[in-house]
Amino acid sequence: MRIRLDPWPVDTFEGQLTLKPFAGLVFDVETDVWQAVPTQGIPAALREVVVVDGKPRMEARLLIDDEAGELHLAAFGAYVVGAVSLCPHGSRQAELQQVRARRVLAYSADTPLEPARLSPRNPQSGVLDYEPHAFNGRQVEGPRAKVQRLMLDAEQALSQELASAMALEEGDTDTLPETLVLQDGPVRLGRGGSAVVGYVKTLHTDYLGADRIGLLSELKCGERTPILRFRVGDRGGHFSEAEGREQRFTWYVRLCEPPFYQHPLAGIMRLEMHAPEDSTFVPRAVQAVANLSGALLQKLGSKLHKDPRAPQNLIPTAALEHAMTRSMGSAELVTRRIRSHIAAAYGAGVLA
Amino acid sequence: MVLGTEDVTPTIFWFAVGRGASVQLDDLVTVQTARPDGKVVHFYGLVDNVRKRHEGVTFESDVEDVVAGVLPASISYAARVLVTRVDPEHFIPPQPGDEVRHAQGDDLKMALSADKMKEAAFPAGLLADGQTLPLNFRFVNGEQGGHINISGISGVATKTSYALFLLHSIFRSGVMDRVAQSSGGQMTGTAGGRAIIFNVKGEDLLFLDQPNSKVTAREAQAAQDKGLTADRYTLMGLPRTPFTDTQFLAPPRAGSVSGAIVPHTDQRSQGVTPFLFTLRDFCAGRMLPYVFSDAGSSLNIGYVIGNIEEKLARLAQVQSGAGAHLLVTDWKPEENADIPEDIDFGDLEGIRINSFEQLIAYLEFKLLDENDGQGDRKWVLNQSQGTLRAFTRRLRGVQKHLSPLIRGDVSEAEASRYRPNLLRGAQLSVVDIHNLSGPAQMFVVGVLLREVFEHKERFGRQDTVFVVLDELNKYAPRDEGSPIKDILLEIAERGRSLGIILIGAQQTASEVERRIVSNAAIRVVGRLDLAEAERPEYRFLPQSFRARAGILQPGTMLVSQPDVPNPVLVNYPFPAWATRKDEVDDLGGREVQEVGEEWLR
Repeated sequence: MRIRLDPWPVDTFEGQLTLKPFAGLVFDVETDVWQAVPTQGIPAALREVVVVDGKPRMEARLLIDDEAGELHLAAFGAYVVGAVSLCPHGSRQAELQQVRARRVLAYSADTPLEPARLSPRNPQSGVLDYEPHAFNGRQVEGPRAKVQRLMLDAEQALSQELASAMALEEGDTDTLPETLVLQDGPVRLGRGGSAVVGYVKTLHTDYLGADRIGLLSELKCGERTPILRFRVGDRGGHFSEAEGREQRFTWYVRLCEPPFYQHPLAGIMRLEMHAPEDSTFVPRAVQAVANLSGALLQKLGSKLHKDPRAPQNLIPTAALEHAMTRSMGSAELVTRRIRSHIAAAYGAGVLA
Repeated sequence: MVLGTEDVTPTIFWFAVGRGASVQLDDLVTVQTARPDGKVVHFYGLVDNVRKRHEGVTFESDVEDVVAGVLPASISYAARVLVTRVDPEHFIPPQPGDEVRHAQGDDLKMALSADKMKEAAFPAGLLADGQTLPLNFRFVNGEQGGHINISGISGVATKTSYALFLLHSIFRSGVMDRVAQSSGGQMTGTAGGRAIIFNVKGEDLLFLDQPNSKVTAREAQAAQDKGLTADRYTLMGLPRTPFTDTQFLAPPRAGSVSGAIVPHTDQRSQGVTPFLFTLRDFCAGRMLPYVFSDAGSSLNIGYVIGNIEEKLARLAQVQSGAGAHLLVTDWKPEENADIPEDIDFGDLEGIRINSFEQLIAYLEFKLLDENDGQGDRKWVLNQSQGTLRAFTRRLRGVQKHLSPLIRGDVSEAEASRYRPNLLRGAQLSVVDIHNLSGPAQMFVVGVLLREVFEHKERFGRQDTVFVVLDELNKYAPRDEGSPIKDILLEIAERGRSLGIILIGAQQTASEVERRIVSNAAIRVVGRLDLAEAERPEYRFLPQSFRARAGILQPGTMLVSQPDVPNPVLVNYPFPAWATRKDEVDDLGGREVQEVGEEWLR
């Protein structure tokens, strides 16, 4: 028996490694030989890498009495998405792009509500504009889920907008997009065909099985596994209509050697891209992205003394998260503004 | 825009410098802010600190990631402003986010309070951006304040150069006429100001009336380096000419064989007038105390000096006939221990004292030898032999230094020709004392300053007299008393109302009598030793300026004046007058060929 550390701090939601077996089927598409593929460096054709991330925040829970005396749930929330644009060859400075907070008044669809505009207190301290969004049902987690949903949609829209188009047909010769988007988490349901790579920092699902997972421990820095394909939501042949058509390519990359006190999968990250339906081949573009992913992620991986979730939490992401938190403003001040807004609206003294 | 992450106060605030803009130390800026009632308040200030940093990064090593293009970060460029003026005087802080602009034109005048100075403004140098710094003449000429004090390390601080530049600016900018005119005749005559400069170092100041051969090239270079539109004299509206209306005084050379009186200068022989004091002037003018620069050290000696001074003055009163010598009747050589060889018995009535040495011998006789070693009772006044001997010993000690200066062997005509004439001669008098030994320097400075002071006491403040004196710490040290220190204190404290303005300079203000430094309305600091800059005498400099005083280059000074609460950094032009013999422009600024043709014609 041996004790090893999970790399991530205990106050994060989950550990980096849980490894529940994937219930569905996983296909070899690149090769039948299960062995490490060395990194091939970043080709000059790739001009730009964009790292996209998002962040939701709940700012105040609201309870609304209607005339009939019934209680409804609503919430003031905010979300922000943004991107860091950088040159993979280091020829220019990395830049933050489109980091902008949006404020949401999430309410149950059966509650009538008007948009709320919170008045500014000073000429130079800005306006808080809450845009109303209804959610269906009256469940307790409704407002939070709505904000999260809006954020994911915005994140996907931003990724699609920034990424180059990518050919996924078998005969296509275009091998590499000009702009590659790295998006936090798995790729979202919806359109494929653009150069968006989802990077999954945690290893919660084991797509490999006991006979293959040993390769992950043997990967050297920058090396990857062969590309695999699976179907989203495959639970051993049973899946919903919406999810069932979504297929993904996935592969694993090692970013750095694990320290001796951590488990051997500590520097491993799983990447994901959209796959054409029922394809038995790997499009050349996907393979090119997989080939450069080792070199790219090694470059972007963070250091343990600077980021507790190193190396998976990429350097640009950490900076982006910081910028996103800032763009939403101080939560304490926003709450205070909400209180004084309510005080002003209902005639009582200022509560803040 | 004014930053909100640092405290914004009515006196200090930070602002962010916009992309593409550049701000340097000493730039003057203006901000306007609106009060809740709609009234606008303007702030004018001076940038005293600028900084850049990476914003949004946590670790210092992140700079590598930023440069590698992996980590997004912006560069924050911010500057700190010391507010020099708030108009109208509502001391509210500006609002974070208020726009900060570079002060130019009228804003600049407001920032430096030039609008208050009006006709009394005269140029004191150029600001970092090439605009002129006005100085208020009313704080120089004694009307509202007076005196200028300049501190700085010797050599790099170029204190004398700046003092000369200020004199040039005062004399040639027309400010004296303007001020005289506007005061409605009360001050008429101020325009005819005079200056006295004591040259204590080399023969640097003996060529002030000669054009400098390097000035054209140096000014062209400076204009190019600083991106100025014209040379610095033109920008300030000053003529680029040497001093006119000058006289140069130098002590006579000691021990000249023929007895001829020639100035003791090495590099310049033409146009330098020797100066000396006659024995009669010495006695009548009560100059004896200035022979003893450390008279304060012993009460008894001071008493003897006072007594002898009085006796000599009486002696001068009873002299009859023309000449510089003294005639005494009560000197009995047979009683003198060692009588000078060249003594002139003259007439039967007495003995002629023709030299300082003989005067000392006479005093020795009166104090020690007469009456079988008892001395003349009226002269001795119960003082102990020890004290009297100490007195004569000291006189003997300085005899060598003062003999060439105090003479009894010149005719009445020579005496009046060589008597230093500082207030009726030229506008600018340079008194060269660098060749004199320490005691002689002290003597000359003390005697001449007292003469000026007494003259002004009689005739009032018309004709402002500027006295330029370097090494104040030698003449007015903080801890010791001396007759010269007394006269300098008189000038510092009362001279302002009499129209004597002291332009004093020293390496270390901390070693100069506090009352002299604190009486100066305008204070200037050049390069300072950093330890010196932390002394209380420099508290008028904000901390950031004290740190900068250690890195100032020649030609750059920090100027503090009462109208502007913060000091301002200026640079001043290369002298248009020669400061060394090799700088003298023999051609008067013309081409060689041109001068040659003139000779041939």
